[in-house]
Amino acid sequence: MTAKTMLTGVTRLSSRIQKLDPRCFLHGSAQAAQSNPVPAEHPRVISRTSDSDPAKHGEQHEGKYYSIPIQDLKTVFPHGLPPRFRMQVKTFGEACLMVRKPALELLGYLKNTKFSHPAVRYLLYGEKGTGKTLSLCHAVHFCAKHDWLVLHIPDAHLWVKNCRELLQSTYNKQRFDQPLEASTWLKNFKTTNKHFLSQIKVQEKYVWNRRESTEKGSPLGEVVEQGITRVRNATDAVGIVLKELRNQSSTGLFHLLVAVDGVNALWGRSTLKREDRTLIAPEELALVHSLRKMVKNDWHGGAIVLSLSQTGSLFKSRTAYLPHELLGKEGFDALDPFLPILTSNYNPKEFESSFQYYLENNWLQHEKAATEEGKKELKFLSNCNPGQLERLCASL
Amino acid sequence: MCQISYVKSTFGLASRSERPIRRKALPPRTEKMDVDQDWPSVYPVAAPFKPSAVPLPVRMGYPVKKGVPMAKEGNLELLKIPNFLHLTPVAIKRHCEALKDFCTEWPAALDSDEKCEKHFPIEIDTADYVSSGPSVRNPKARVVTLRVKLSSLNLDNHAKKKLIKLVGERYCKTTDVLSITTDRCPLKRQNYDYALYLLTVLYHESWKTEEWEKNKTEADMEEYVWENSSSEKNVLQTLLQIRAADSSGAPSREELLGTKEVEDYQKCVVRLKNEGENEESLAQYKESVKRLLNLECSLN
Repeated sequence: MTAKTMLTGVTRLSSRIQKLDPRCFLHGSAQAAQSNPVPAEHPRVISRTSDSDPAKHGEQHEGKYYSIPIQDLKTVFPHGLPPRFRMQVKTFGEACLMVRKPALELLGYLKNTKFSHPAVRYLLYGEKGTGKTLSLCHAVHFCAKHDWLVLHIPDAHLWVKNCRELLQSTYNKQRFDQPLEASTWLKNFKTTNKHFLSQIKVQEKYVWNRRESTEKGSPLGEVVEQGITRVRNATDAVGIVLKELRNQSSTGLFHLLVAVDGVNALWGRSTLKREDRTLIAPEELALVHSLRKMVKNDWHGGAIVLSLSQTGSLFKSRTAYLPHELLGKEGFDALDPFLPILTSNYNPKEFESSFQYYLENNWLQHEKAATEEGKKELKFLSNCNPGQLERLCASL
Repeated sequence: MCQISYVKSTFGLASRSERPIRRKALPPRTEKMDVDQDWPSVYPVAAPFKPSAVPLPVRMGYPVKKGVPMAKEGNLELLKIPNFLHLTPVAIKRHCEALKDFCTEWPAALDSDEKCEKHFPIEIDTADYVSSGPSVRNPKARVVTLRVKLSSLNLDNHAKKKLIKLVGERYCKTTDVLSITTDRCPLKRQNYDYALYLLTVLYHESWKTEEWEKNKTEADMEEYVWENSSSEKNVLQTLLQIRAADSSGAPSREELLGTKEVEDYQKCVVRLKNEGENEESLAQYKESVKRLLNLECSLN
């Protein structure tokens, strides 16, 4: 009842008050009452939904924003969100993701994963700015909430370009180590999966150097610590972590989600050079090599969600977005068979919702922005492309 | 001063009456022309543009600001360009009528393009040049182009692929036409013989199979072949693992290859690779993978 009386207020102010109230009082049953009478009177409020658990998201939530709790943000996404989104989170003080069809489809598949079958690969592809990375984050949030072990590589392109230090690998002379990238990733991995690190035990003995070694049966956390403290061994630590997780996910102790953004970097070209200024192929980088083994579907007990990205890619045309164009023949053959999921621009309902969200947060300061014409203009200028819309609204 | 000038004017021709009388300019001939006159008689041969003889209000030239192009009277631009006023359709019809006496009849049996194709698959293009000058020779006249459709040649699959690789740029995929242009010999007849020789040699060579052709790699293939490809291996491996996990028996490779899902998947992959990617081929691929791996999507 209180929810309904609050909603009968006409001004935007009332919807702001509703937003600021703690989420807990708008639980599932009230939410059903909220969504039914509202569209008739107050179209402004339908842009939000209160279910912050991705498992409950379904078709009726399509087009609505759900917010990720702040403590989840720190643990699940220490490095996962795209930079512009992170700035938006800081500005608005909350992280809201829109529930969209590709993500819903992906969640549907993930809910039905058969853990005895080999891991299925899902590939998110689409034009620039249509929401591939954020759909990936939605799936990561879902899996984290359901206690899967999440292996999230935020951008594989970072591993094939702009690397300051390249060392010859201690494990395999032909390959190269990247201590900085490996250690940053290990730190973030530790934040995300702290509780798992003590449960999982390594199955072999690993000797780091003459004085240090990790015994068989010790927790995985030790390997991660070793990688973070001894930066020289960080890449090998990453390789070991991946190998152990892959072997042990079949035991059923945990479910493993491998989420890689910008997976086309693994099969593309790199800009890194050896000392004699010859180019290095990606497979000569130890990190890339271990990651390639990870996205092969020869293990079971989890799922692999990948997304293509032209934005950070090297030597690829700006208009390329189809799997073959970005992955190349080698990449496509390596990932085959996979399930491609297309992300597209906003449909009218989603555009409406996004527009309302920006209005509610007072993001659009221009006086004409809130009018019908302003909306039509934004729609035309951005062509309902989410990334473009966000950029346009940022300058208003 | 005026004394000197007076003397000068009397130097050449004297007074007005002694100079030849200049006629007034007559109105141009165009004003007397009928609409249905006989144009080939106005311009029977190639002649420069005569503004008084051409009744069209033609303008040519770059206009000054707030002006229009220059009119045809005294227009050098119209004189510079070639004109074909002597080759109107009427004139050409008359030429054809005159040439008919020197021609033979078109064979009555060849009344459609398909019949011409069938009986005369090879087409030869040559060009002859005439010009007024001391010599009838023109070096451009030695070029000979031979065009033939590969569907009219007796080639099997391997021979056709080998022939296309041998000729390279000379084959057009969309029209299936091989065109060989020769001009390396000084005479047209020699070039024609050479072109026919080239065609014969290509045909016979493409039927032969050399030893080194066994080393043809996947990169040399013109189109995607699914058998023995990595895609096939991946799929079989995945399916074997699934079956093993379900413990529903270990079927052999042939059995797996024969199932409907795998065949469907094969068709989709081949289509994707050969025709290139677009939305619908990717959608089809997605459906076939879903069926292959038994994936269901549960939406709340």
